[in-house]
Amino acid sequence: MKLTKEEEDILSGKQGKAKAQALDFIIQLGEAFGAERLVDIVYCHYPAEMAIYRGNVEDAVEYAETGAKVSVPTTSSTLCCDLEKPEITGCPAQLVDLQSQIEPAHRKMGILETFTCTPQHLGFIPPFGSYTALVESSAIIYYNSVLGVRTNRGGLLTRHSAVCGKYPLMGYLLDENRKGTHWFKVEISRERLISEDAWSALGFYIGKIAGSGVPVIEGVNTHQQEFLLVLGATLATAGSVTLFHIPGVTPEARTVEEAFQGQLPEHKYIIKDEDLDSVYETLTNISAGDPIDFVTLGCPHYTLPLLQKAAALLDGKKTAPGVRFWICTNRMTRKQAEYSGIVEVIEKSGAKVVCDTCPVESHMRQSTCREFGMKVPNVAAMVCNSGKMLRYVGDLIGCKTALTNMENCIRSAVEGKFVTK
Amino acid sequence: MKTYKVRKVVRGNCHAPVLLFPASFSFLGDVDLETAEILVDTGNCKGENLAGKIFVFMETKGSSGGALVLQTLKNIGKAPAALVSVHAPDFNLVEGAILNEIPYASGIDAGFFNDVSNGKMAVLNLDEEKLTIQ
Repeated sequence: MKLTKEEEDILSGKQGKAKAQALDFIIQLGEAFGAERLVDIVYCHYPAEMAIYRGNVEDAVEYAETGAKVSVPTTSSTLCCDLEKPEITGCPAQLVDLQSQIEPAHRKMGILETFTCTPQHLGFIPPFGSYTALVESSAIIYYNSVLGVRTNRGGLLTRHSAVCGKYPLMGYLLDENRKGTHWFKVEISRERLISEDAWSALGFYIGKIAGSGVPVIEGVNTHQQEFLLVLGATLATAGSVTLFHIPGVTPEARTVEEAFQGQLPEHKYIIKDEDLDSVYETLTNISAGDPIDFVTLGCPHYTLPLLQKAAALLDGKKTAPGVRFWICTNRMTRKQAEYSGIVEVIEKSGAKVVCDTCPVESHMRQSTCREFGMKVPNVAAMVCNSGKMLRYVGDLIGCKTALTNMENCIRSAVEGKFVTK
Repeated sequence: MKTYKVRKVVRGNCHAPVLLFPASFSFLGDVDLETAEILVDTGNCKGENLAGKIFVFMETKGSSGGALVLQTLKNIGKAPAALVSVHAPDFNLVEGAILNEIPYASGIDAGFFNDVSNGKMAVLNLDEEKLTIQ
C-alpha cells in the first residue's frame, strides 16, 4: 500500500505508540482487501462497548489506559442502560456499575458520550462525499444513502480508525461499489406509506431480496427523515444492505439511470400491498385483543418531533398496569424534550423516555440475564412500530411480537392488549 | 512435501498441524467458546479442536460476531494458529485476525481437502504466500 509521508511518520511512532499501532491495523485491513491507499476520515461513530458483552467494557477501559486518543470528532453508540437514569429501565446495579466505567474511559480518549444509534440527529453531519468510519447498521445506511457520506460497515477496527484518523479506500468509499444492484418498483397505495411501521415493513421486504446488494427503490417519494431512517434500518436488518438509492430523493440518484451508473438490471421487482402485508404477518404473532406487557417506540432512537407526537397522543392518558412502555431517544433530545415539557406529559402517562439504550441492547436479553445470574424479566408480548426491533426481540427477549403504527402502540399500552384500528 | 499457493490476508507465519473443515464455517455457533472444539458434524470434524491448528475451511458464514469469538479464543489461549480459506476473506473475521495477530490466508485450492488429512504438520509462510505440507 502506498503511504504518505504523514502516514509513514505516524507508523514510525512520531505521534505516539497507540496511534502507530492503530494505523498499522488499518493498513493491514486495507492490504487484506487490496486497497491502494488510505484516506482521511472526518468523523467516527464508535462501537458501543456494552456491559452485556463480557469483557467489552474492561477492554475499552484498558485501551483508554494506553493513552490512545481519537483524532477526529467521535461519537459513541448505544449502551445497555440509561446511565443518567438507570432506575427507569430497572437495569440491575451490577450492570449499571460496570457500564458506567465507560464514561471516564471515553472522556479520556476524547470520545463524546452520545450513546445513540442516530448521531445524525445530534448534528454530526459531515459534507456530502466525505469519508467516515461508523458502526451501527441503521446509522451507516442513513449516512451512506440519505447524506451521501461514505462509510463501510465498521467492526472491531473502527476504534483504530478513530485513533489514527484513517481508513482504507475500499468498499463503499469507492464510486464503483455505490451503483445499484437490485431494481424495485413500489406499487403500494400511497395512503399506506404514511407511518414509520409501513416504511419499516417496506425496508424489511426489500432487504430480504437485496441481501448485501444496493437496492434502487422507484415509485416512492418522501423527504421525511424519520421514514428514510426506518426504511434503512430494516433494509440493514432483513438484509445487510449498506446503501440504497431512491431516485429523486437520495443525493446520488437524481434518476434511475444515475442510481445504476447507466447499467440497468434486466429484472425489476414489483412490490405490492400484499408484499407489505406479508411483513406484518411475519413480525406479528399475536391477535387483536391479546394481552401485551411491553410497548416500545424509538427504534432507531426517536427524533424530537416524534417525541412531540407521542406526547400529544399520550396527553391525559394512563398506561395499563403491568405494561412497560419505553420511548427511546438520545440524551440531547431528551434534554430538549424536558425543556419543551414533552417528557413531563409522557411520564405522567406512565411511559418512560429512555436514553442511551433500547430493549434489545438492554438487560432484558435472556442470555444476558443467564450470564450475569440475574432474574429473567418475563415479557409476554411486545407491540412496536419498528420492524428492526421486532426482528430481534423475539429471539433475544423471548416474547411474542406485533408490528403496528404509533397510534395503535399507544392505544395498546393504554388498554393492556393489542389494539388495531 | 507439497506446497500450495495462497494469498496473504493477514500477515504472519507458523508451523502447526492442519485441521480441515471442508464446508462453510460459522465462528459464532460452530465452535465451543470454552474448549475450542468444533460443535457441528460436518466432514467428521465434530470434537476436533481449533486450538493451535492451521484451520483450513471453505469460507465463513453467519454472524458478524465471529471476530469476537476469535478474540475470546485468543484470550483463553485456544485460538487457531492460522486461518486459511478457499474463498474470499470475510471482512469481520479479518478484523478479528488482525487484532489478535492470527495469520489469515485465502485462495487455497479446494483440492487441498482431498490431498491432505487432519493432523499433518504444515508451514504457513505468508511472506512467500505459500502453505507447505511436511
